[in-house]
Amino acid sequence: MGLFRLIYDSSVLMAQSVPEALEALSDQDAGAALVAGATWVVRAQGRHMPLARRFIALSNIPQLGLIAKNGSYVAIGCMVTHHVLAQALPDIPVLRALRQAAGGSANPGVRQVATIGGNICAADFAAADLVAAALCLDATVELQGVKGTQPLALADYLSVRAHRSGAEILTEISIPISNACSAHARLTLRKAGDYPVVIVSMRAARRSDKTLRDVRIAVGSVEATARRWTSVERALEGQIPTPAELQGLAANHIAEFTPREDIGAPGWYRAQVLPHVLCSAYADLLGQLEGNVA
Amino acid sequence: MPVNLTLNGEARTFFGDLRTSLLDVLRQTFRLTGTKPVCGEGFCGACIVHIDGVAVPSCLRPIGLLEGACVTTIEGLAPLDAPNPLQLAFQDQDVVQCGMCFPGMVMALSKFLQTNSTPSRSEVKAAMIGNICRCTGYERIVDAVLSLQSGERAQ
Repeated sequence: MGLFRLIYDSSVLMAQSVPEALEALSDQDAGAALVAGATWVVRAQGRHMPLARRFIALSNIPQLGLIAKNGSYVAIGCMVTHHVLAQALPDIPVLRALRQAAGGSANPGVRQVATIGGNICAADFAAADLVAAALCLDATVELQGVKGTQPLALADYLSVRAHRSGAEILTEISIPISNACSAHARLTLRKAGDYPVVIVSMRAARRSDKTLRDVRIAVGSVEATARRWTSVERALEGQIPTPAELQGLAANHIAEFTPREDIGAPGWYRAQVLPHVLCSAYADLLGQLEGNVA
Repeated sequence: MPVNLTLNGEARTFFGDLRTSLLDVLRQTFRLTGTKPVCGEGFCGACIVHIDGVAVPSCLRPIGLLEGACVTTIEGLAPLDAPNPLQLAFQDQDVVQCGMCFPGMVMALSKFLQTNSTPSRSEVKAAMIGNICRCTGYERIVDAVLSLQSGERAQ
């Protein structure tokens, strides 16, 4: 009975501070998993993965749930939920893609509990809306470990997140503020109960001659990990094509993707519809840029 | 370590594996079977309850995260002999069929109507995006929600 109770007692730790969470995470024998909104971790068995033996919950650490505008960037705590992000993110044009992504992800109930930190850290979740949105906004993540804090570009973090060792917690996401605009588009096969087949987030500013500059395109759900579409970004710099022209241009670069296959959609389908979703995001972005010459 | 929470207005304590979902605790420990287990992934909405006044899927909430929380299930939403207006609208317009999705529908839409008492048709549909019904088709459910108001936005 004593051992029985001990296992139960330790199955969830409500950490009161980041150092406490890090200390618990360092105990490799505990088989612990960090829990933000819990929406991914609790479904491990549905993915034929073992449920972590111990949950280390971050929801009792208030500073991880804050959004703050600090001069030239916005800092978002890892525990900020999609719902709060959609409601409370500063009303700045460049952040619109992130607001759209947060306000349209999953469904209203899940948005109340799922967090931006969870979205970014779930390495095996390919269809995370917030990852694509943050990627197109040049986000930086702050990783706190036992030896200190390390900032890392989100793009770099995504490429190594599944292989990082040692106890660390992604505590904050920083997004630089600029005079660019942004847009987010996603395609689901049904209105409800579906992950997006393709996600596209775009960011760009306009030159005085109305051509585009500082173009960013992030594509999610097509491959296992969201990534930038740099060849099309380069092709757009200094140009201002129509949405139809961009769709044609993008189709010429589709072969750069190795689309994933899963129960949601075959790979060829994801590749086929990607230029259309890009076109949709671009049309939205052009609407935002109208009158925003900088 | 036990978890203490307020469940449908009563103080309750859970002893057990703190990773257990609130859904399983409600059904298996407290025998509140109005909350339905369907997809287990937060997609279908059949297990939606109110936690501290917010409508969320109970399948995604480990009980260990809910110390001190106030949980309301379909059993606690309104007295059996005095259903809330939404429940009455569903009953009067006969939109309930198998009943599997309806506790979640009622919980999600009751909370939604508290924040938007005069929703448009598209707003009701957006609020229902996390509630899947395989029986009735959604239009009659939306009609029932809109019947709670009169005027142009209800058309």
